[in-house]
Order: sequence, then C-alpha cells, then structure tokens
Amino acid sequence: MKLSVLLKTKLFSAFLLLCLVSSNVIADTPFEALLADEVNGADWLSYSGGYKSQRFSPLSQINTVNVDQLKVMWAYQMQPTGISGAALQETTPLVADNVMYITESPSSVTALDTRTGRVLWHFFPDITNDVLNIGFPRINRGVALLDDNVYVATLDARLFALDARTGAVRWETMVADNAAGFSLTLAPLALNGKIVVGVSGAEAGVRGYIDAYDSETGERLWRTFTVPAPGEPGSETWQGDDWQTGGGSTWLTGSYDPELDLLYWTTGNPAPDWNGDLRPGDNLFTCAVLALDPDTGEMKWFFQYTPHDTHDWDANQIPVLVDGEFEGQQRKLLALANRNAFYYLLDRETGEYLLGEEYSFQTWSEGIDDNGRPIVIPNTEPMRDGNLVWPSLQGATNWFSPSYNPQTEQFFVPNRRMGAIYFKSDVEYVLGMPFLGGGEQPLDGDDASGAILALDVMTGEQQWEFELQTPPWSGVMATAGGLVFGASNEGNFFALDAEDGNPLWFFNTGAHIRTNPMGFSVDGNQRVAIIGGQTLFVFGLD
Amino acid sequence: MLLKKYLSGLSALIVSSFLILSAPLVCAQNLENGQQLFQTLCARCHGMLGEGSEGPSLTRPNLVHAPDDAALVSLIVGGIPGTGMPGSRQLRGQDGPDVAAYVRSLGELPPEEMPGDVIAGAQVYKSIGNCSSCHILNGEGLGIGPELSNVGQRRTASYLRRSVTSPEADQPRLVDRFRGLLKAFLTVRIVSEIGTYEGMRINEDAFTLQMRDMAGEIYSFNKSDLISYEKVEGHSLMPGYNSVLNEKQIDDVVSYLMSLK
Repeated sequence: MKLSVLLKTKLFSAFLLLCLVSSNVIADTPFEALLADEVNGADWLSYSGGYKSQRFSPLSQINTVNVDQLKVMWAYQMQPTGISGAALQETTPLVADNVMYITESPSSVTALDTRTGRVLWHFFPDITNDVLNIGFPRINRGVALLDDNVYVATLDARLFALDARTGAVRWETMVADNAAGFSLTLAPLALNGKIVVGVSGAEAGVRGYIDAYDSETGERLWRTFTVPAPGEPGSETWQGDDWQTGGGSTWLTGSYDPELDLLYWTTGNPAPDWNGDLRPGDNLFTCAVLALDPDTGEMKWFFQYTPHDTHDWDANQIPVLVDGEFEGQQRKLLALANRNAFYYLLDRETGEYLLGEEYSFQTWSEGIDDNGRPIVIPNTEPMRDGNLVWPSLQGATNWFSPSYNPQTEQFFVPNRRMGAIYFKSDVEYVLGMPFLGGGEQPLDGDDASGAILALDVMTGEQQWEFELQTPPWSGVMATAGGLVFGASNEGNFFALDAEDGNPLWFFNTGAHIRTNPMGFSVDGNQRVAIIGGQTLFVFGLD
Repeated sequence: MLLKKYLSGLSALIVSSFLILSAPLVCAQNLENGQQLFQTLCARCHGMLGEGSEGPSLTRPNLVHAPDDAALVSLIVGGIPGTGMPGSRQLRGQDGPDVAAYVRSLGELPPEEMPGDVIAGAQVYKSIGNCSSCHILNGEGLGIGPELSNVGQRRTASYLRRSVTSPEADQPRLVDRFRGLLKAFLTVRIVSEIGTYEGMRINEDAFTLQMRDMAGEIYSFNKSDLISYEKVEGHSLMPGYNSVLNEKQIDDVVSYLMSLK
C-alpha cells in the first residue's frame, strides 16, 4: 500500500472514530426533553416512557411483518454484589443519547453504550447486608434523568444524584429511616427542577409519604403524608393512634400532566395488611390515587379504589393518562387496571369516577357502585381458619406496567389469574419488624394462569387475551409497529399482534422475567430491551 | 380449613417426633415461638404452612442450602447470596434456632410401623414389580416416574401404598421459585400431523412443550404446530398394582420404599 493511501485510510479511520466518539458524548436531559419523551422514539427518558405513563414506543421499524427476524444485538450480565437476596432484577432501562442507564439489585447504577453494551461506568451505593426490606424483595426499578444528572433511590432509603457522565455522586440525602422499615425501590420521577420519590414499608407499619427534592441541591421541597394525622382531612376514617402505623406506602412511580400541572401518585395497603379489625374505617388515603400540586405537594383530589383493604391490594399500579372521547365527551382521563381485579377510568382534572369494570375473575365484590365504591361480598375478608378469595394478594395485576396505544385506543394489561387462602392473625407493632396480621397460601403454579389482555380503553371491554402458563410478573410495551411486547415467568420474551393477540415471535431468555420491556433506537435502528434473570438483552433487526 | 387446629395438632406431632428423633432441647414453647416468627418473617415468601410461594417449599426433610441445623440458623439470619432470600437479621438469641426448629418440623414425618418385609420388598421391586423400568433408584432406571432414592424421607407408608395401588389418586407437585406449585409427572396427550404421543410433561411455556414418552424418548413441540394438546388430569402413566401384586407383596414393597432414606 502506498503511503498516501495508507495515510488517507488512517485519516478516514480517525474521522470515523471521531464520529463515533463525538456522537457518544452524553447530552443533557432538560425538562423540555422529558415533556417530549412520548414522541421521541430514539430515547426512553423516564420510567414509563413519558409523563403519561403509556409505555408506548412510537417507532414502527419493527412491525408485524418483520418481527420474526428479531435477533440479539448484545447482552449484558448484571454484576454480583455479594448482598444476599439481591438476585432479582426489575429495572426499566432508560436511554438518552446513546447511553443506557440501568439499576442492578439492590440499588447499583450502570451506564452502558447502547451500540455495544460495554460498561461506561458503575455506581454501588455502599449498601450493607443488614439493610431491612420488609414485605418485598431487594430490588430496584430504575433511575430518573434530569439535566446532566442520574437519580437513584436506594433500598436503605437514600436518594442520590449522580453525574451522568461519570457516575460520581453530586449529592445524597436520607429520605427515610430504614431501621423503621422504610425502603426505596421505585424509579424516581423527574419534574421541572424536582425529583419526586415514594416509600415502601407498609408491611412494617410505616406511615407513607411522597417527597419532592430540589434536583440541584437535594433539599427537600415538600412532603405529603398518605395517612392523615388527627384533625386533618380523612382522619375521620381512622381510630385512635392507628394512623401512626397506617401504611399507605407510595412505592411506584407516578404520572404527570403538564397542562393541568398535576402529579398523580398511587398508594398502597393500610397496615397491618390482613387484620382489618385493628384499624376500623376506610383508612384514607390508602389503596388510592392522589392528585398533587407538584410545587407544594397539596392534595387536589383523591380516589380510593379499595376502602378498608384487607387483602394487600395496593393501588400501586401505573396510572395511565389518556385523552379521548368518553361517552361522547372529550375528556382527560386516568386509566388504571387495579390489583383488585377492576379496571377504572377517572376524570384526571377533577377525580370524578367514570367507570369500574371487572377485567379478571374475582370473588370479593359484586361490582362498583355509582360513586366508585366496591360492593363488597360479605365474609370475603381474611379469616383465622383461612378464606379462599380471588385474586391473590399479588392481585389481578401488580406493579409491572400496562401499556396504552393511543393510535388504536387499546389498553394492554398483564393479568394474574390466581386465588389465595387468606389468614388473619394477631399482631402488635414493633419498630422495624413485619406488621402483617396474617398471611396467604396462594393457589399458584398449575392451579393458576396468566394472560396478556387487550381492553378497550374507554369501556374496559376485553378485545382479546393471550394465555400464559403462569401468572406473569412482567410488563408490556405496545409499539407503533402494531405490536405488543410481553414476557413470562417461563423466560419467554414475545411479540403479539396488537390487533388480535396472535403471537408473532418469541425468544427464550433462559430465566424468569420480572421487568418491563422498553424501546429506543441506535443510529436510526429500532431496539427493544428486556431482562431475563440477570441478563439484559437488546434486540434489533439489523 | 381449620388452620389453628391443624397447626396445634401438627405442633404436638412435631414435638413428639422431635423428642424421639432429634435433640431433646426443642420444646413446644420453642416451636410456638418459631412458628409465630416464621409466619411473621418467612410466610410471605414461603407460605403460611411453609408449602412454598415465591420462596421454595420447606415441607421436606432435606433443605438444599441447610445440610445441618447450624447452617439453617445461619441462612435464616443471614440470607442466601445470589437468591431472593434476604435473611432476618432482626432475630436475636434463641429466636433464630426456634425458627430453624419450626422449619425442620415442617419436613418431619411421623414414625410409622412398617407393614411388610423390607428384603422381600426389594425383590418385588426388582422382579415382578419391574419398577426400575420407570423409576430411578440409586442411579438406575428410567426417569418417567418420580425418583425413589430417598422416598422414605419424603413420603408416608400410607401415601406410598396409595401410590402403588391407585397412582392416579395423588398428583405429585414441585415448587418452581418463579412459577409456584407445578404438577409434576403430568400426563399429556399430543396429536400432531406426524403422529399421536402420550407421555409425561417435562417442561412447558406459552409456546413450546417438552415431554418424555414411556420408552424414555424426549420430544419437543411448538404448540402452534399441534392439532391438539391435552393435559390429562387424574390420570397416571403408572398402572395400578392391585392386579399385579398381592396384599403381602404390596406391604413388602411399601416397607422397602420406606426404608430408602
């Protein structure tokens, strides 16, 4: 080779390298980018793929015609921490400008190059083995991005801001006291200059709350408790000191409507879980959705799905924001498929109850009355000798995400079809100990089943179902390619035809799947990602 | 279900068997404390009766991660790295050993009088019973039916008698950590364009099925290729032995199986 040619080749290689490197520079994720997350198919900037929490990918390169040609582009193996019980992965990856940010159990953060899957940096928040996690596994569901920071909430109840370029700690703050049973497992929600988090811990008898922190300094801006103190609105639904250990944890990421400037956050079960005799009343604001002023935390309205819950049917499911015509009128809606087996529509401006339809087999309610209150069938609460009720404590669905396709107005729900024998027992509150008052014996495995359901978002009417072997623990993602991606306990990652639910493609990841699918693109090529066991898989067509 | 009566009866049974079989330090008070702590700390994953839920079943004498009581206490307190088992570091003093004693009690079986002759039963197993044509024992045989190497630890004589005479009466179960209680040795019947198959389900997901037929051959099917697929409930691939063995031979083979520990 002549020297000049060699030189040109080297120069060309250097130019190519420069292109690759320069396009891999980590960019900011301003609030304006988060507002456009829903329509930006290249990135996935927040837990549910946008403030409306629709978990919908607007990309259509992968579609019903070619999905059977999907192949693994790269995989990433999670890094063992030595922390016991930290082997379950429930994170939703985020992608911004060709960098993917994931959490690894219990609360580590890893940044990956989206082209290759190579690690860019890794952060471990120095969690010790004696951290308390009462009532849930040692997991984390992901990070939040805002400006040039990555935010992670940790199992020992801290909140960190990390430099998105390096993983270096910019600030950290203590959100709650882990010794009292508080933990953080959710992906934080980034708003304009604020980071919002909720807490886990109702199984330890905590009093739940939602916090907002200044995104730059870590200073706490407001705290809204989900169980009222005496004299506050809703306190009439509690007796004596029950409110102090009343539960109502806030362990799943909420949604946000920038036009109404309202933050929507769901709440969990009252405590103790299964012995309702110890906390008479409706137990507001547990098992509810709250609409909050994001600047002050002030509650604008609430809707309680399951008053005086005794089955651990947290309402910590994703509140999906939908705009459309309901009974002839254009409305701003909040759709939620609840753990209690009913699908609800609310007016998200006022909190008005609009619809409550059974979407899964249940034996505890005759239906929902005109005010949105369930008509409870007598003798369906936990009993000392056991009482068989559908659904099980894990509900007809759970934390894992539903998906909404705004182009077809279809609402997709992973559905658990499983009953349980519920027990009630005595319990006394002890700080940092489980505060349950009973338990359950599930009818699981082959005595149960699961499905992916397609519902008409405006009526809750089922359009189709795709049956799964066992009750799922993973979410779904619809795409503009006419697909619904889902996953199973058996380790299958699959794509269904959104029109009729027919399976078009599946892949055996080789291990259980208990997380949500997400999508993005690399250099214009669409990708979908899922975690099976300890391995993150990224799929594409090229 | 009368849980309380069942538990108190179980406790009494456990106490007596523990006093006979194990260290004399375990008393009813320990078990009661262990049971209360178990229901508080462990039952959410392992089930109220230890039958398994998100965590595995503990109603077995041999626990994979706990070969002895010291190891069991250690993992109850410290957890198991690499799994979903977090440990309960709140436990102090005697509480850990009490939970361990209760967990051990879940897998204990009551002592029973053996109805027959063990040596004669071994002959029945090998000859007229031809049991190794389907069962594995100490590494020999086909894995169409349950392995019997330690079956005397896991089952009662009455259960084994029923299994020999009416094998369809009980569906064996296994706990899958992520799927729950699955039917093991479930009979499946499959019709495809190539042929008709009957055998034991090995594994299954929403898209595929793996089965083993009576000759021990393994098959894997795409469900979308099948004309029909039936899970045959209340049926066993094993024939009832009432017509093959006489009463004494049944007693003998049951006694032999119970001696396998």
